[in-house]
Amino acid sequence: MLGQVAIVGVAQTSGAAGNGRTLEECIHDTVREVLGRAGVTHEALDTIVAASSDQVDGRAISIMLTSGALGGYGKDVLDTPSAGEHALVLAWLRLLTGAYHAALVVSWSGLEVNDLRTVQNLSCDPIFHRQLGLHDLASHGLQAGAYQSRYGVDARAAAQVAAKNRAAGARNPLATLRTPVSAEEVLDSPVVAWPLRELMLPPDSAGVVALVLVSGERAAELGRRGAGRAAWLRGVGWSLDSYWLGQRNLAELTSLRSAAQRAYAMAGLRQPLAELDVAELHDVTAYHELMAYEALGFCAAGEGARLIAEGRTGPDGALPCNPSGGSLSDNPYFATGLVRVAEAARQVTGQAGACQVPGARLALAHASSGFAAQGNSVFILSGEAD
Amino acid sequence: MAMRRVAIIGSGQSRFRFRRDDATYAELVREGVRLALEDAGIGIERIGAVVYALAPDALIGVSNAERWGAEAVGVDKPMMRLNTGGATGISAVQAGFYHIASGLFDVVLVAGADKVGECGHAQVVLNKIWDPLYERALPLNAINMLSLSAVRYMAKYGMTEEHMAMTTVKNRHNAARNPNAHLRDEVTLQQVLDSPTLCWPIKRLDACPQSSGGAAVVLASEEVARKLCPRPAWVRGVGNCAESYFMGDRMGPKAPQDHADATALGHSFQAAYRMAGLSRPAEEIDVAELYAPFSNTEYHAIDATGVCAKGQSVRLMERGHFELDGPFPVNPSGGTQCTNPIAVTAMLRVIEAALQVMHKAGEHQVPDVQTAIASGNGGDHQFFGTMVLSSDPG
Amino acid sequence: MGEKILSRIEKWELTYTHSMGETASHFFHEIKNHRRLVGRRAPKAGRVLMPPRAFSDIDFEETTDWVPVANEGRIESFTIVCQQFPGMPVPPYAIGFVLLDGADTALGGFIRGVDLTEPRAAAEKLKIGTRVQVKYRDKPEGNVLDFWFEPA
Repeated sequence: MLGQVAIVGVAQTSGAAGNGRTLEECIHDTVREVLGRAGVTHEALDTIVAASSDQVDGRAISIMLTSGALGGYGKDVLDTPSAGEHALVLAWLRLLTGAYHAALVVSWSGLEVNDLRTVQNLSCDPIFHRQLGLHDLASHGLQAGAYQSRYGVDARAAAQVAAKNRAAGARNPLATLRTPVSAEEVLDSPVVAWPLRELMLPPDSAGVVALVLVSGERAAELGRRGAGRAAWLRGVGWSLDSYWLGQRNLAELTSLRSAAQRAYAMAGLRQPLAELDVAELHDVTAYHELMAYEALGFCAAGEGARLIAEGRTGPDGALPCNPSGGSLSDNPYFATGLVRVAEAARQVTGQAGACQVPGARLALAHASSGFAAQGNSVFILSGEAD
Repeated sequence: MAMRRVAIIGSGQSRFRFRRDDATYAELVREGVRLALEDAGIGIERIGAVVYALAPDALIGVSNAERWGAEAVGVDKPMMRLNTGGATGISAVQAGFYHIASGLFDVVLVAGADKVGECGHAQVVLNKIWDPLYERALPLNAINMLSLSAVRYMAKYGMTEEHMAMTTVKNRHNAARNPNAHLRDEVTLQQVLDSPTLCWPIKRLDACPQSSGGAAVVLASEEVARKLCPRPAWVRGVGNCAESYFMGDRMGPKAPQDHADATALGHSFQAAYRMAGLSRPAEEIDVAELYAPFSNTEYHAIDATGVCAKGQSVRLMERGHFELDGPFPVNPSGGTQCTNPIAVTAMLRVIEAALQVMHKAGEHQVPDVQTAIASGNGGDHQFFGTMVLSSDPG
Repeated sequence: MGEKILSRIEKWELTYTHSMGETASHFFHEIKNHRRLVGRRAPKAGRVLMPPRAFSDIDFEETTDWVPVANEGRIESFTIVCQQFPGMPVPPYAIGFVLLDGADTALGGFIRGVDLTEPRAAAEKLKIGTRVQVKYRDKPEGNVLDFWFEPA
């Protein structure tokens, strides 16, 4: 039987870096804010796990300079540059050992680099893919195209996802894009990488997200065991698919399916659509939310379009997805996946403000990384301790 | 709740060289993985999760190259990567340890590789680790950062250039007995002293090479380890401690620590000893494999283990105390000074400690080892990971 | 396979615009306008941080006020770089960390005005404790090359 771990504080600074402050200053402010919210002192932290991208940050070992900002002096500091959400996974594993009781988890993306697409292109091996000009967006276009043609998905379904999320994002004070768009506007926006249109894509945002995790024991000491007083990690799954796009089934989010299976098994979840109250999904494009519905078992393969058309993932549906507006409204690139967890934690603790889904108790957060969503993680959060 | 026991049951490492043009990065990772799985006597299907060790991406010229390397460790498994600079390799093994100690997994693979030779000169990349506001233009790099430490250690404890050379002579002697080491030619004290100055007082033969190759470790839960491995290396303690970032903060009368020393490494060892239940390191530890990329840094690393008082390592080195057949052998593999594939350098420290405990170190085996320690340093002498391995599960 | 192994040359082309923030910006404005160095006080330990930072990582607290420090101080550490690294200055050159009078942490910069052709002899002239003065370039540009140290 695994131990209990709870998220007792989240903080997020949006549009932070590049705003006349140094990246380190923005991180430091967010860390102080999250510790305050969690009611956990800096002294009480016994592990710090960050996740950062050296190439996004323009710091060859980004954790060096940022460690001080995290309060890392004299502490146990690790960094997981594979994905923002992996910092949370590692902190959770450490707390499960019983040897640690309070963890700080932080990820960020500044916008100090001239072009994120160039950074992404550097993820290509130099032999077969680099010269093709492949980057996240192009790989997501390949994937959306494969999905669309495999299941005959109408572009309108993706446009409806974008319209739903942008309407939600308009209510989120932390979002970069706060103006709603209609499905027609989405369909009329220019093609960026077929079949992806401009309004189906996330913006480039800057931001820092921080979470404080504690052991069940520490949560009790902090008086956070009551319903809605903390977000308990009930299931976690993460997985990495093949790098080679040519040998993957691009029409499916394979590693998301296996990450979800692991997380559901751990949380004892059998009917996610019925049992979950809210989901925060990492939309690398609007099409990917449809694909995520299927990989997460909200519907059968190829049925994602029907789910959005029926409004079942809308604000009044059975399972509202991305009430925060999701990554189509705010996208601090490397940290976006961890922002989904922060939003889910806000939902199950009733702190989501204007984005709150009434009575949300059980939430799913999804995070994605790499070309054509190569890596995926799933977190099941509950507002109840047991 | 008692933590689950975890052991190293297998390891693999390339024969390291300056360049490996015959293989891509991902293929080098595979090389280490194949050797480690063979050593552990298991197939990839037994691996429940993977931890990847990759330090600055720029050294191999591929961003998030762990994604490219996914194939090498088995697709559709839980995988994450660690990066704490030079400490990455030991941080990754520690992360693997947590995967199992948490109760979630039974067998975990920790793997990585480096092709430092492909980035041209590592120090050009390593200039970009510094603060872009105050330090990068100077220009700092990993060599002069530790020259600055050497100068302070000399002033504080009387270390000389000859003392630095003694470390190299010892480590090259050991590396000559380690078929996987990169620099395997023995050298004399005079050769070290006569080698060209890089950043005074560090000379070419005080410095580590840039190496290419792969390495991997297989960790297992107690149940699996007992089944598969006749003499596993039990992970008895892990420690981690970070220093402040700015080197200038480690100088002057009000500094809480000194850039001459490795204070946070000392704290890290203390944490690992506490977990392992060690209180008299000099008597309880049989061999130490310490991350020391330059000859001078071996001294403050030894001091930090607590086997002697600060600065006393210099006197003990004069008397052969740390040699392969001495009372407290340090870096029986030849250490980082002889082999430095940055992403996995600190993993090699763990692998060597494990080989010593498992009595599989061949010509560089220290007799009768039961308990060994390993360390890794990363950042600007900033992140310090440590481990205690033992043949006794405790 | 015995065939020639091929290779490709790849150059990374990225440009970063690193925001300096208010604190570091002020430090460089002071150099430009007044030829003086200013530090920031970290109240808990009473230390004056040089170079100045908005927060002290050691104390995990915000710095509170500006403290001008002297244009002279003592060498806390140094190195003499004798090897050419691509894209970096032509050796030999000396980098030093100097504890300026009135500051509690050491500031990095070039040390000039010492003959470096023989490193061991130069090391004697630069040894820890040597007093140095801060010199400024005629037209400061807002980076750490605006100042350097010379033996007093």
